[in-house]
Amino acid sequence: MWLTLDAIRECFEGAIPSLVATCAPDGTPNVTYVSQIHYVDAAHVALTYQFFSKTRENILANPHATADVIHPLTAAQYRLALEYLRTETEGPLFESMKAKLAGIASHTGMAGVFRLLGSDVYRVHAIEHVPGKALPAPQPKRNLLAALRTASDRLTRCGDFASLLEAALESLDALLGIDHAMILMLDARRGSLYTVASRGYPASGIGSEIPLGVGVVGMAAKEGTPIRISYATAEYAYGRAVRDAAEKLGMANMLETEIPLPGLATSRSQLAVPIVTCDHATGVLYVESPEDRRFRYEDEDALVAIAALVGATIHALQADEREEDAPQAANAPAPVAGPPVVVRRYAANDSVFLGDDYLIKGVAGAIFWKLLRDYANEGRTEFTNRELRLDPSLRLPDIHDNLEARLVLLARRLEERCGVMRIEKVARGRFRLCVSRPVQLVEVAG
Amino acid sequence: MTQDARPPVLDAEHAAFVQGGVTISVSSRDAGLRASISRGVGCRVSADRRRVTLFVAGTGAQKLLRDIAATKAIAVCFSQPSTHRTIQIKGSDARIAAAEPGDLAIIERQLEARIAELVPLGYAEPVVRAVFHADPGDVVTVAFTPDAAFAQTPGPNAGRRLAA
Repeated sequence: MWLTLDAIRECFEGAIPSLVATCAPDGTPNVTYVSQIHYVDAAHVALTYQFFSKTRENILANPHATADVIHPLTAAQYRLALEYLRTETEGPLFESMKAKLAGIASHTGMAGVFRLLGSDVYRVHAIEHVPGKALPAPQPKRNLLAALRTASDRLTRCGDFASLLEAALESLDALLGIDHAMILMLDARRGSLYTVASRGYPASGIGSEIPLGVGVVGMAAKEGTPIRISYATAEYAYGRAVRDAAEKLGMANMLETEIPLPGLATSRSQLAVPIVTCDHATGVLYVESPEDRRFRYEDEDALVAIAALVGATIHALQADEREEDAPQAANAPAPVAGPPVVVRRYAANDSVFLGDDYLIKGVAGAIFWKLLRDYANEGRTEFTNRELRLDPSLRLPDIHDNLEARLVLLARRLEERCGVMRIEKVARGRFRLCVSRPVQLVEVAG
Repeated sequence: MTQDARPPVLDAEHAAFVQGGVTISVSSRDAGLRASISRGVGCRVSADRRRVTLFVAGTGAQKLLRDIAATKAIAVCFSQPSTHRTIQIKGSDARIAAAEPGDLAIIERQLEARIAELVPLGYAEPVVRAVFHADPGDVVTVAFTPDAAFAQTPGPNAGRRLAA
């Protein structure tokens, strides 16, 4: 077998329908269009099982099938000798095919008709190039492997979490031409993801949340697999879908709904890849585009590699979270002036308001409240990550939780919403709370 | 001849549909029940609708043509991309047949209809032309008698036998 499946992955983008022929035990052949043949790995593909059909009846009795696929740009045709192995009805493969099918269905006017019941997994025994007319492959716009090389050099040099996020999003834009992107981190205890960085949106949406398992982002985190959709689809649109899901899951009160998700009004291509740290999905790198079919298999490869580098760098930074000895600046509050700012905290969900304006809730809200209390009661302005981890009042989820991500979230919300207070990094594992007006703390029970 | 006593499997509307420039996919199988496949480039239906003739590009269809010669089994899927309307016709007496004058004109006419159908859906015309290309000298003609026809449009009626 000279050809490998990897070499013809473009044929599995769903741009041109594929054909599958099967044969009944009585010798009657059957041929049908399939909306999606999905590349599983170098030796397997999966077909959508949408309703019981002759094809399905045949493969259950005689597992051999022949598929005909077409390269969407060159029109080159390939024929695959397949053998049906099994059907998966949940899990990473099923969810990524379900999302992809939703895009294809809405693009072809079949939303509501195409519905994935299962992913039929086949072994590929042979790949044959079908002689025929083919067009020259178009010149690629950029070399993704070279882009990845430069990105990996940048990412692995980052010395802290905030600059890592910045470098990742900047690399996507400058090197891969992806200008709408966000990074979300997992809050495993609450079963949600919160936005810590974004690029290419009018409002950053930092602090906005998505429940685990909802939309491409939530599903990528839940299943630990890339989810990619090549066409606009209402089924995976954000905004309302996320709110509805949150209500259904009874998370409305706990989920961040004050801060709208960033995101394109009409996203025509979506790709979410999990950020994996020590074998756990700890976040998601999400990109989108107003163009159809913007992200292909190779973009997915590049994003998976970048997300892996982000995950590994996060792990390296966490392992190295000893405080550095910073020059001990006078640990006394700077002088404040002007009318006081009233800061209210609602204990029920740790939500914090500055005056009447909502700032943050959850773990980042609890951290902010602790900083302000220590500032107000003891005049402290410098803090260490270690003392936050050890503080029982913060109930930090567990050691896998990324405290740095919570601090970046809090710092960015303060930057965006408050001209009076900010958080700045002093050294590794140390930061300072800077306050320029008097603060008045009000605790609201319940 | 009992065969002639039955009404043809295809009604006039089906005959018009399969000759209207829809996409055509042809399959057969070998003695080991392994299916073969090829895209068709045209279709002609006899005046009495009892004989369906297909055109395929021979170099890309060698296994299919061997299987047809050996087993005579055939299944053909006709689909209109803009509406997803799809029918499948099956036969058990397929054989390689002689070309007729005018066949190349049929292929050309159906190709143009297919392009007119597919380009508005977003397919690039050069890609469509390449996929459905057959050199005139490479066209192989396959003919069979339809035994049965089935609706195959995606949805709840897929698989239902068509009543002529």
